[in-house]
Amino acid sequence: MTPPEVRDALRSWIRAHNPEVPEDEPADDTPIIDRRYLTSLQVADLLLFVEELRQAPLDPSGLRPGTFRTIDAIHDAFFPS
Amino acid sequence: MIEAPGLRWKANGQAALSGPLLALAHRLDDRFVALAAGWQAEDHRFPTFLAASVLEQNDWFRSFPQHATFPACLDPAEANLATFTDGQPVDGSGQVHPSALAPIRDVLTPAACYHLYDHHQGLAFDRPRYFTTSNTCFRREERYVPLERQWSFTMREIVCMGTAEEAGAFLADATAEVDRLTTAIDLPLSWALASDPFFRPSKNPQYLMQQIDPTKYELMFEDRLAIASTNLHHDHFGRAFSIQRDGEPVRTACIAFGIERWLAAFIHRYGPTGPFPQL
Repeated sequence: MTPPEVRDALRSWIRAHNPEVPEDEPADDTPIIDRRYLTSLQVADLLLFVEELRQAPLDPSGLRPGTFRTIDAIHDAFFPS
Repeated sequence: MIEAPGLRWKANGQAALSGPLLALAHRLDDRFVALAAGWQAEDHRFPTFLAASVLEQNDWFRSFPQHATFPACLDPAEANLATFTDGQPVDGSGQVHPSALAPIRDVLTPAACYHLYDHHQGLAFDRPRYFTTSNTCFRREERYVPLERQWSFTMREIVCMGTAEEAGAFLADATAEVDRLTTAIDLPLSWALASDPFFRPSKNPQYLMQQIDPTKYELMFEDRLAIASTNLHHDHFGRAFSIQRDGEPVRTACIAFGIERWLAAFIHRYGPTGPFPQL
């Protein structure tokens, strides 16, 4: 997947799990946790989705602060170019 | 093990305070209440018991079952009470031998602020609100240390309920105020990122969330003893207790002070009899 495709896939996942997200959100740099577009109940599912997208497992013990702050941050952390 | 005039340690992980140590505990609490007054925080006093259903509302029991302490009563049926009295109510080791217990519906307060979310359940605010409350809190632990890790201890909290910006500003201001206080009293303290002691953390989504979105900082004495913490809850309690701000779940944040641990820090720093600095 290209970087724009990854970002769009993440955006679609967040929108699908949050019907209240406004039409033009989240942008690549929207703070998705601060806006509550991503809650604790959804984190594990998003991790699984990221694993599907990158076709490789993630080690939950290696999660670092900030890696899920924005779509850009998720992309940069888990989809190295 | 800490020893100081006015401290009597109990084998059940609790401390009795009197004399100069109790006076210092009062002065510390007064200082934190004065801090709360900076936000015109409304003071509340709540009972020690908390309905278990309140903690269930925010999934506390699945996150921290190891800390729970329940008030238990005997089933009041006369025959059941007679079974209790006819047996050996308490044996030589101090263990109670209850007959049938009545249903347990309460829990001993594990953190002072839970009462505030319950108290304001279903309300809608149109401005930031600040509250303070103190309670005797109970956390069952594997081992206890006088003043540092107790089954029951005193917690003073200041809580903000507002928008995300207001909750964030509150924590920034509270941190700055505490830094001013601790600089003045010359304690070796530093703030450190922390996470709550979740049961089976790898299976708890809230633990996972704390790893990627740090929301808890602890004020560490000599890098080993947390004497205060700041906590950003986002909309966790706003949703769980249907508290709203301008039509949205309210955002909450709190700063908590463990009074006995402050006493421990003072004793380690200034000795068991002081003199202790002015607060």
